[in-house]
Amino acid sequence: MSTDGDETTARQDESVPGHDEGPEPDGEGVDPGMPDLGYTWTTGDLDDDWETRARQKLETVDFDTELGVELSRDAMALAQGELSRETFNEKHHADVHEEFGVDERPTREVGAVTYESSADAQRASTSESDEPLPGVPTSSGRTFPSRRGLLKSMGAAGAASVTAGLAGCMDGLADTGPERGEAGDVQFGMAIDTDRCIACMLCAEACKRENDTDAGTHWMHVFRYEEDEYGEVEEGYMPRPCQHCSEPSCTYVCPTQARFKRNDDGLVLTDYDTCIGCKYCEVACPYGVNSLSKDEPTDISPGFTGSETDRHGNTVGGTPPEGIMGKCTFCVHRQDDSAQRGTTACEEECPVDAIHFGDMNDPDSKPRQYLRENRQEARFKLLDEIGNEPNIVYLGDEPSKDADPIDGPYTYEDLGMERPAEDGADEVVADGTDDSNAGGEGS
Amino acid sequence: MSPDIDGERVLRPLHNTTKGHFALLVVFGLAALWLLVAWVYQLRGGMMTVTNLGDWGTAGGVPWGLYIGAFVWWIGIAHGGIAISAAVTVFKIERFRPIARIAEVLTVFALGMAAANIVFSLGRPDRIFNTIVQWPLTVYHSPLAWDIAVITLYLVLSLTYITLSLRDEIYALRPRLPWWLGPIYSVILLGYRPAESEKVEQITWWLAVAILALVPLLSGGVVPWLFGLIAAQPGWFGAAAGPSMLVESLTSAMAFVIIVVAAFRYAYGWEDMIEEAILVDLSKVLALLVLATIWFVIHDVLTGLYLAPAHIDVITETMLTLPFFWLAIGGLLVSFTYLAATVLRPDWFSIPVLVVVSGVVAISILNKKVMFIVEGLMHPSVPPLTNLYPAGEYFPNWVEWSLVLGSIVLVGLGFVIVSKIIPMIELEDAGELVDEPRSSRTDGDSSPDVAADGGVLSGGKLNGSAADTERQPVNSAISDPVDTTGRGVAESDTVGLDSDSATTEEDR
Repeated sequence: MSTDGDETTARQDESVPGHDEGPEPDGEGVDPGMPDLGYTWTTGDLDDDWETRARQKLETVDFDTELGVELSRDAMALAQGELSRETFNEKHHADVHEEFGVDERPTREVGAVTYESSADAQRASTSESDEPLPGVPTSSGRTFPSRRGLLKSMGAAGAASVTAGLAGCMDGLADTGPERGEAGDVQFGMAIDTDRCIACMLCAEACKRENDTDAGTHWMHVFRYEEDEYGEVEEGYMPRPCQHCSEPSCTYVCPTQARFKRNDDGLVLTDYDTCIGCKYCEVACPYGVNSLSKDEPTDISPGFTGSETDRHGNTVGGTPPEGIMGKCTFCVHRQDDSAQRGTTACEEECPVDAIHFGDMNDPDSKPRQYLRENRQEARFKLLDEIGNEPNIVYLGDEPSKDADPIDGPYTYEDLGMERPAEDGADEVVADGTDDSNAGGEGS
Repeated sequence: MSPDIDGERVLRPLHNTTKGHFALLVVFGLAALWLLVAWVYQLRGGMMTVTNLGDWGTAGGVPWGLYIGAFVWWIGIAHGGIAISAAVTVFKIERFRPIARIAEVLTVFALGMAAANIVFSLGRPDRIFNTIVQWPLTVYHSPLAWDIAVITLYLVLSLTYITLSLRDEIYALRPRLPWWLGPIYSVILLGYRPAESEKVEQITWWLAVAILALVPLLSGGVVPWLFGLIAAQPGWFGAAAGPSMLVESLTSAMAFVIIVVAAFRYAYGWEDMIEEAILVDLSKVLALLVLATIWFVIHDVLTGLYLAPAHIDVITETMLTLPFFWLAIGGLLVSFTYLAATVLRPDWFSIPVLVVVSGVVAISILNKKVMFIVEGLMHPSVPPLTNLYPAGEYFPNWVEWSLVLGSIVLVGLGFVIVSKIIPMIELEDAGELVDEPRSSRTDGDSSPDVAADGGVLSGGKLNGSAADTERQPVNSAISDPVDTTGRGVAESDTVGLDSDSATTEEDR
């Protein structure tokens, strides 16, 4: 019991410095009970003050204080990677058993994954240097090949078996996946603070006004849900734009290369000139961000005023023509406009400053700064275990699997986002055949 | 080879067209027109506007529905024809030879309809060629590109196969075939030489082997991969997806072959040539396949319910509450019961009932395929998004039904037309049906472009002009009526293109 507590504290503390460049001088937000030792501390740095404080805390419980102090010290060593999990468990097994009458912690190596300490995992990903986000648990430290690599070799295998040898001639092309533009080190992304979000829907509305999206289509969607926490019901809000993944499954499945990742700044975009509307990207995206265009803008939009073509001449901006797949573009027209670069409509409009848009590879960018300033907050990436490596980092608690969707406090209907513009809706509304599209609320 | 094949009666449909046939042509033609109307409506109105398909994210819709289900279904049906034909060619199962051609034609049509359903499902079908243009690049990552490749390969191979197997026959029968279809035969016979027969036989054997190898690659491989590789939809994921889809495919394929064969047998009075024993055999294979399909369903349900991960659990539980699921299962169970019963009590076997049962099986499999597509998309993704998004709702509307049922009609229409162009039963001894003995044919080296002169094979009697070939079949039929069936009374009446035949439907 006390071991668990100490270990958790230790890990939290460790994750504070994260792998931002060098030790962070400001200790704000850190539990005052814990020493701020910077990034390179070792358990040798734990001073007498620490031990005194630990003793004071432990004396209030009925269990052995000495054992508690030893366990905490070693737990911090474990978190720092000085001790292996196995050694840690073995070392105190007898004492723990004696004190608590039970010790169910595994004491023999059964699988490397179980025993890998969080510190190890995080260091591994630091050294890879492509994981810019401090303290976000990630699966990118794994050693098996990425899905991108696997898909490429699968594709080559498929081609080989089908076209017998033709694939060999085209091996050189294997590296030109669904990507466009010169390689760059910018990866746009967002830090979204779900604790600040009040579900006012202004981001969704701003997106609609900016991008002229269809009625009932929400490139920026705000999840509103209730969580039952031991009888206490809490409301949670989570805005959801496209995650502009680093391993975007939508681009892999695209049969025309229309869905691609723009290398210059990591945007995932759709080429409106080549998309055939097969919807394969839509079913392959775990986040549900895609929607096929009906070309029925809402009343609240003055029409798309940005540039439809990006800096490379691809038609990717605004709402797509009918029958073409559309999704959040991170306001690509702004990113290609020097005056507006680095901004999005949703970020600008947010009244509570919950959305922070910028280059996730730049430590000084808005999202990175925000993450640093709020390092004590819990953070997560949505559906991180699926492996798409999303570039939106959420602060706050991840909704649980039992989160119950709710409609309030504002609905899209309230804000006129479901109603098509007067002139664009003639045949559709008159026909009435699209009722079931809009009304699929129940479960 | 098959001594009881009566060539005259096989050729008769090429010259005689009954009222019933015309009626069928009109009905199918009108239905096909309706399909066209519905499709144009969809193209003009926009797919997401006029169909009941929707976006799964915020809208609670289902982006892939009846069209994609029907696509998978047609792919499966395509296997039936080629499996039977390959059994005849590769394994020399001669007893199935009389139905081999019908089955091959079914394969070609079914593949075409699979492709058509994909086109129906596109938001912008006018751009479909982008998939071909980009193929060399997309084949490295897009399962849809693999799919395009394998289906195209399958279509090319089966068309080549059927064309090659026709050439000898068409060449020998040319004087007996309708003159006004000459251009079509000329295309089939392009560059034909009689000496090629032996080589062609070897080639078709190897083609049959290749096509047979494609069956598991397509329905057991690429098509299930199209879904199973997508981790976003838990309902499509599973190691057994490939095998179970292959078994379902073969089941619907066998059912379809039975229906088409029985239709031909009935319409043209070929009961003696396509023996009942063939259908009995097919029904036994169908029984086995239906049983295997049910067995896979049990696997699916059991693994999906017993301590399954939450999202799989939700999908399976929902599936069990859908009436469509029980419709499909009920259909399969009833069909299996009947088919198994006829094995034990052969006197219960009845071809009309078998056709009905096959229809039930085919529809049940279509139902199941559509559920497979839709069910995963109704509860998409994994927690927590599974319940944060509204659950999808979907039922196809009239546009979707029109297009999918229309694709079935198109296959019917195709058969109605093609049965007037080529003999629907292989005629191994086609040469004997022509007046002149085989030896009178000129040598193969006479002209590489035999296609132009169909008259060559009739020796000096004809100059090969179109006018002469026109009369040739009529003459030969009258001068040498082959009457083995006791229908000689009708024979003289039925010669000619437009007279009503008293031989087939009216006989009953």
